[in-house]
Amino acid sequence: MGEGVLDRAMNPAVNKPVEPIQEKERSKRHRERLAIGIVAILIAGLTFFEAKLATLGGSVAITSNIIIFALININVVLIVLLIFLVTRNIFKIILDRKRNILGAKIRSRLVLIFIGFSLVPTILLFVAAANITTTSIKSWIGGRVGVALTGALDLARGKLEGEARLLSGLVEDAARRIPPAASVEETREALGDVRHGHSPETSLFLAGPAGVVTASGEVPSGIAAEILSRLKGMKFVEQPGSSTTLVGDIFASAVRRIPDGRLVVAVRTLPPEESRMIREIAKAYDEYHQVRLLDDPIRASYIAVLILITLLIVFGASWMGIYLARQITVPVQLLAEGTEKVAGGDLDVRLDYSSSDEFGHLVSSFNRMTADLKEMKRDLEETNLSLSTTYEELRRRTQFIEAILTNISTGVIVIDRHSRIAMINKVAERMLEIKTEKVLGKPYKEVIREEHFEAIRALSREVGEAAGKQVERQVDLEAGGKKISLRVSVTALRDDSGGYMGLVVAFDDLSQAMRLQKVLAWREVARRIAHEIRNPLTPIQLSTERMLKKYAAVHEGDPAFAECTQTILSEVGTLKHLVEEFTRFARMPAPVYKEGDLTEELRTVVETYRTAHPGIAWELEGEDGAAWFDPFQIRRAVTNLLENAAAVLDGKGTVKVGWVRQKELGLVRISVADDGPGIPMADRDHLFEPYFSRKEGGTGLGLAIVSAIASDHGGTVRVRDNVPHGAVFEIEFPVRSRG
Amino acid sequence: MSGEAFLRRIAVPLTLLILVFAANASAASPKPEIVGISGKIHGHEARVLFTLHNGFTPEMVEALKSGIEISFKTVVRVERVHRRWFDFPMGELEFSRTVRYDALSRVYRLNRGGREELLPDVHAALAGMTQYEIVVPLTLDAEPGKTYRAHVRSRLDKVGLSEPLQSILFFSSLWDVETEWARGYLTAP
Repeated sequence: MGEGVLDRAMNPAVNKPVEPIQEKERSKRHRERLAIGIVAILIAGLTFFEAKLATLGGSVAITSNIIIFALININVVLIVLLIFLVTRNIFKIILDRKRNILGAKIRSRLVLIFIGFSLVPTILLFVAAANITTTSIKSWIGGRVGVALTGALDLARGKLEGEARLLSGLVEDAARRIPPAASVEETREALGDVRHGHSPETSLFLAGPAGVVTASGEVPSGIAAEILSRLKGMKFVEQPGSSTTLVGDIFASAVRRIPDGRLVVAVRTLPPEESRMIREIAKAYDEYHQVRLLDDPIRASYIAVLILITLLIVFGASWMGIYLARQITVPVQLLAEGTEKVAGGDLDVRLDYSSSDEFGHLVSSFNRMTADLKEMKRDLEETNLSLSTTYEELRRRTQFIEAILTNISTGVIVIDRHSRIAMINKVAERMLEIKTEKVLGKPYKEVIREEHFEAIRALSREVGEAAGKQVERQVDLEAGGKKISLRVSVTALRDDSGGYMGLVVAFDDLSQAMRLQKVLAWREVARRIAHEIRNPLTPIQLSTERMLKKYAAVHEGDPAFAECTQTILSEVGTLKHLVEEFTRFARMPAPVYKEGDLTEELRTVVETYRTAHPGIAWELEGEDGAAWFDPFQIRRAVTNLLENAAAVLDGKGTVKVGWVRQKELGLVRISVADDGPGIPMADRDHLFEPYFSRKEGGTGLGLAIVSAIASDHGGTVRVRDNVPHGAVFEIEFPVRSRG
Repeated sequence: MSGEAFLRRIAVPLTLLILVFAANASAASPKPEIVGISGKIHGHEARVLFTLHNGFTPEMVEALKSGIEISFKTVVRVERVHRRWFDFPMGELEFSRTVRYDALSRVYRLNRGGREELLPDVHAALAGMTQYEIVVPLTLDAEPGKTYRAHVRSRLDKVGLSEPLQSILFFSSLWDVETEWARGYLTAP
């Protein structure tokens, strides 16, 4: 697990294009880790080198050696740097924890455990080691070691001084025995006599300014010259008498100046073992005293080294803790961040992490999973797109079908194979006076009135389940308080495999057609009646007038004659008027369309009635703009409606006249509403039929003419209740763009 | 409290503490110096006399008595003094003196450079280490009547601890003794 792991500690390798800040942090982390590694290696190397230098540099000056100082300082700087880096990492973990960064808690816990595990034993060890060191030094310098070393040194000194005394006696004896101006031979004999009986390591010689004159025994090489050299600088040599000295650590010597100025010298070489022991004793004595003198610095030095080691262990363990914690938490953090992004819908997440351990396997599985998810999502999106296209096409088709169904004049009800109403169009709604939202999805026998249900069931039974079979019947029903005649056709629906899918019930309102048929019939009747009646009326009238003129004088005084003739004339007049009406009804011309202001046309009629019936409130409300219509016929139709309204109001009430253009339906609707007693439900079916009138003296042609004018305009007229009372007559005809 | 705030809080007291300790430490030990520089210059050599004052602290004397070898390195420079011109260097000599107590022989071994002297007591040893009479060879003949000056500086060169102690006290500097440059005029008869 490389440095990348440390880099990603704060986030980061949830890839996507790596942001500059993350790259910077990554590089920083890399440098930091490199620095820690180099510092640790340098500390170890320099410490080793300094230790070697310490053992080699017995004569190296401590206070003035630049190299040593530099090494020590570098070491200290490096340790401080290590401490800084570790401390910085620990602070960073604390900050991450405070910021609630993912993985910070578990990381800080792991680091704490590592530090705890290393800190406690290390500190215990440090305390114990420091205590043991102090106690050992104290016991060594304060115990019997000093006494023993002093005793040993005294013994060694005694040995050397005994030797010196012996040699001193020898040179004294030799000085006495050497006669003045003795020859070399005499001198050697005298020296031999004196040396006789002493150990072979003892030798005597006579030395002059030029060196050894003669000797008894073997004089060790270089010793004579060394002694003479030393004696030159010693003050006591100038004093009379003899003196002893030690040359090096391997022999003792004694010197005596004889009267002629030359020196008698006795030398004794100590056995090597004795010499080594004496040297060791002196060395140990020196060390002991040095340790005693430098007790505090030595202890401080030991403790400093222990502190250094303790710090290294603690910070090393801390760093290791941080490193191991990151090894564990970084993949966990990456996974957590990655999962969060995936949960947020980002499936491009790829975790940049590789390892051969379980975490590596986990991250690899995560990456594979997100890749699969992304692929599945893409497939889903493609499918969804395809479905959307299909759905859009279906919706368009459905809209098209709905538009057709809405705009056709045929009512359509679709019943599925479970006998539930699957679809119902607006015309059917209006015809049957039912609401789609209340009936859709429900069994049709629950929502359709019993007589309707029976009619449909009878037809459906007849259709059976035969494919493509259609049954058509005329059915009279009552809906909305009026009877309507419907032509109902029922067709069974089949799918491609011939399976039964339900029924389509289509029905057309024949009432209007029948009404028109009636009107046409009545027109024919009216024409014939007018023709048949008009012809005899004129002879009757002329004959009656003639009778009246010729026989008036004869029957003067006979009231019956006058009354009868007057009655005949009056009835003939009535019949003529009736014939005129019939003729007008029968010979209604085809509309002559003109573009005009419908509001103004209505105003003309309304103003006439406003003058004639001042007790009635006449209100007019119309749209601006022109419309195509036959002004003469529309004025006549409205006149008939206003005449009826004025008649039912009996001089008191309100009549509202207006018109609207219903663009969505493509209709012009003229309405005349009164607040009179209204139209009884029973009369509504016959209201627009000729010769139906509840008005005294009415011909029953007014509303029939209105109906005829509406029909001639391609429209219709209907009546409904006004709120709270009264009636509203509405003439509807299609909007035209030209005549 | 953050680490930075903590450091800021303790920075001033810590600095004061260090300054106080430093002041105490400098006041505790008298400063070593070279005094009494005098001498004569003749022909190709200059004989310079001077004394190292306060060169040995009581701890150093005790260390000497305990067998620790102490060595001083001294530099003597002789120059001719010109009144209106740069002084001209005539010669320089750097030498060491080492003293060690020989517990076996109960003498102090003083090495003045080549020949070891055996001195019976510590006073003689200290005198040998602090009183100097040095002959400095010159590069040019001295001119009688002219002005010559000697510059002397001395410092503790090494402290010869026993081997085990050298390892233990490797990182410690026991004493730091070093004089400033001292000047004295030489006579040129």
